[in-house]
Amino acid sequence: MGEEAKPKYIPDPNSAKAKLGKIAKEHYDNLWIAKEKGEMIGWCASNFPQEIFQTLGLTVCYPENQAAAIAARGGGGRLCEVAEGEGYSNDICAYARISIAYSQVKDIEEQNMPQPDYLLCCNNICNCMIKWYENLAKELNIPMILIDIPFNPDYKVSKEEIAYVKGQFLDAIRQLEEITGKKWSDEKFEEIMKISNRTSKAWLEATSFCKYNPSPLNGFDLMNHMAVAVCARGTVEAAEAFELLAKEYEESVKNGTSTFRAEEKHRIMFEGIACWPHLRFTATELKSRGINLVATIYADAFGFIYDDFDGLIEAYCNVPNAINLEHARDKRTAIVKNNKVEGLLVHVNRSCKLWSGFMYEMSRQIAEECNVPLSTFDGDQADPRNFSEAQYETRVQALTEIMEANKGVR
Amino acid sequence: MAALQDILQEFHRIAASPQEQMKHYLAQNKKIVVCSPVYTPEEVIHSMGLLPFGTWGTDMEIKEAKAYFPAFICSVMQSILELGIKGAFDGASAIVIPSLCDSLKCLGQNWKYAVPGIEFVPMTYPQNRNTTYGKEFTKAGYQRVIADLERITGETFEDEKLHKSIEIYNAHNQAMREFSEYAKNYSVITAADRNAVFKSAFFLEKSEHTALINQLLEALKETELADVKKIRIVTSGILADAKELLAILNDNNIQVVADDIAQESRQYRVDCPIAATALDRLAEKFATMNNCSVLYDVNKGRASYLTELVQENKADGIIYALTKFCDPEEFDYVVVKKICEEKEIPLLLIEVDRQMVNYEQVRTAVQTFSEMLG
Ligand code: SF4
Ligand code: SF4
Repeated sequence: MGEEAKPKYIPDPNSAKAKLGKIAKEHYDNLWIAKEKGEMIGWCASNFPQEIFQTLGLTVCYPENQAAAIAARGGGGRLCEVAEGEGYSNDICAYARISIAYSQVKDIEEQNMPQPDYLLCCNNICNCMIKWYENLAKELNIPMILIDIPFNPDYKVSKEEIAYVKGQFLDAIRQLEEITGKKWSDEKFEEIMKISNRTSKAWLEATSFCKYNPSPLNGFDLMNHMAVAVCARGTVEAAEAFELLAKEYEESVKNGTSTFRAEEKHRIMFEGIACWPHLRFTATELKSRGINLVATIYADAFGFIYDDFDGLIEAYCNVPNAINLEHARDKRTAIVKNNKVEGLLVHVNRSCKLWSGFMYEMSRQIAEECNVPLSTFDGDQADPRNFSEAQYETRVQALTEIMEANKGVR
Repeated sequence: MAALQDILQEFHRIAASPQEQMKHYLAQNKKIVVCSPVYTPEEVIHSMGLLPFGTWGTDMEIKEAKAYFPAFICSVMQSILELGIKGAFDGASAIVIPSLCDSLKCLGQNWKYAVPGIEFVPMTYPQNRNTTYGKEFTKAGYQRVIADLERITGETFEDEKLHKSIEIYNAHNQAMREFSEYAKNYSVITAADRNAVFKSAFFLEKSEHTALINQLLEALKETELADVKKIRIVTSGILADAKELLAILNDNNIQVVADDIAQESRQYRVDCPIAATALDRLAEKFATMNNCSVLYDVNKGRASYLTELVQENKADGIIYALTKFCDPEEFDYVVVKKICEEKEIPLLLIEVDRQMVNYEQVRTAVQTFSEMLG
């Protein structure tokens, strides 16, 4: 019996989703165009201050985004194994393994990207990043610029840290001018700061709609849209697309519609990076129980709001993985309370030592402070081998039962 | 000869009984500050009249720390936390933890809640360390440690006193380098002896340790060089102090002729130079430190440094002791492996772990390696 071919879903080209999709696709297309024109290409850490290279007009791409895309399309395991064949331990972050493998394989079907001429590293998300980029720089024999933003053990960013990062900023600009031959312009910098702030505000505005009950969006959408928040923060197109997204959510709230296509019975915070190789499974397990993801720290992660140069530096010093337990906890507690979260689902990510290394204690504190149940599961954002469907199912079920019981009581 | 063995026994005794050492100092009314890996500004602590007491964890089963660390964090961090929770450092005034790798960042955060009785003092180092702004930031990190320790212990800091402590530490560095240089040719110094000499340094006040090293050097100078053929090995990694591992090296006729181990020689390669203030001297030292997996180096100088160690010490090969789950070392390994292939230097990778009980795999690997070299 012939199956009826499902018509391919094509979103309205004027929708935010289509626009964001287009920006993400064009990001990769433009890289190849630039490469063909003979422009130098940089590989860049997701939280490297993009204002620097946007001002200089450089073309960069993001190995973390690429690794996520590769993993989501099923290539994570294969590339991890390539890296392991080179001698990389399977304990190393899977993004790093995938990226290093890609720099050798160079052509794959999941997601290609031009090879780099220089590297821009920033360790405000992890020190693993430094090692990953060091190895790339050595292997490919290309220059690497590191903006070192140390983990801050204190709640507030000190003036000494600002001074240290500022010194590196200025050095990075000088080095990049030398490497690429491009020139810095203060006016352009002002303009880029304005656009970045506008994009960040729009991103935060859009993500804030999760607070509505029911939420007008399936929280997993954010994990996809995040790619644009990473790769195009300094562009007007991204700002406009996120503004449109916020408008659409506003409409949805009015009309009572949502991209979460089930009845929203429970509202949870999902902690950690998505398990890209098992995205469909992890999302479906939640949806089938009426669980919507209405809070993630990602919302905050790419909302860089600042007034001036010092403020910009401070924003990059305050990204989620660079702050101490109390600061990280309080940010999450605020989201949990604000978004009326009823349970925490924590991804203990084998790839990410920093994100998982004090997660047990922090989650306990959040759960206690907010009086919500907590469930953890073991996984990996890109290595498909480090995840068990059975364990995930059991943990989600346990969380659901407590949330249901709590509802009976409340 | 008896004297030599007696002195070595003393190193073994100290290396094997950190808790006794702590008690001994506490009984003298010394205030103890625990120092976590990889680099802590011991000189600063010492100059304030406090006793820097190093810990690199210990070989043990992990239980309590599991409530804080997931299983994929290295056993150095797990066991330090476990020791802390179990009270092994009770009596200490504070612990200084630098944040040079992701797992160390987490140790500090967990410590605050797991061991609330011993205050966590963070030491934040810059990675872009050999620049004007980098050195300023290093100094700011030291000042932070000083301020915390002044508040916690009531002791005070004086730059003049730091100069004096720096001289004590420079002299100790010198003694350790001399020992390593000497020991490589003496087959009476086993891998376990060599390790005990290095390990004990963390549990003794440094001028006391220097005095003991000098006695050892004197005794060695009076010892005749035995004419035995040993397999000459350079070790590399974070630590290689497991009793079983050291015995395996010995059983396979291996002489450690030099090391690039964080717990051993990496601590003593660089002295404090002359600079405007004592704190500047310390920042200058950190600025020029290198060849270590937790210190940023775009040139990966550590790999070529290792091959130089092999050449200078006429070594037959390298044993890379990889601490399980140590990502800085895991990344470096690939670069080391490559350069060893290019230079045709035999390299053996073994995985070490503080929770390891079965060393059979390591034994077989070392045996095959030494047969190949022997
Ligand atoms: S997943 Fe974690 S370890 Fe890997 S790059 Fe991201 S922050 Fe770093
Ligand atoms: S062994 Fe490695 S991962 Fe563990 S604390 Fe030391 S440097 Fe960090």
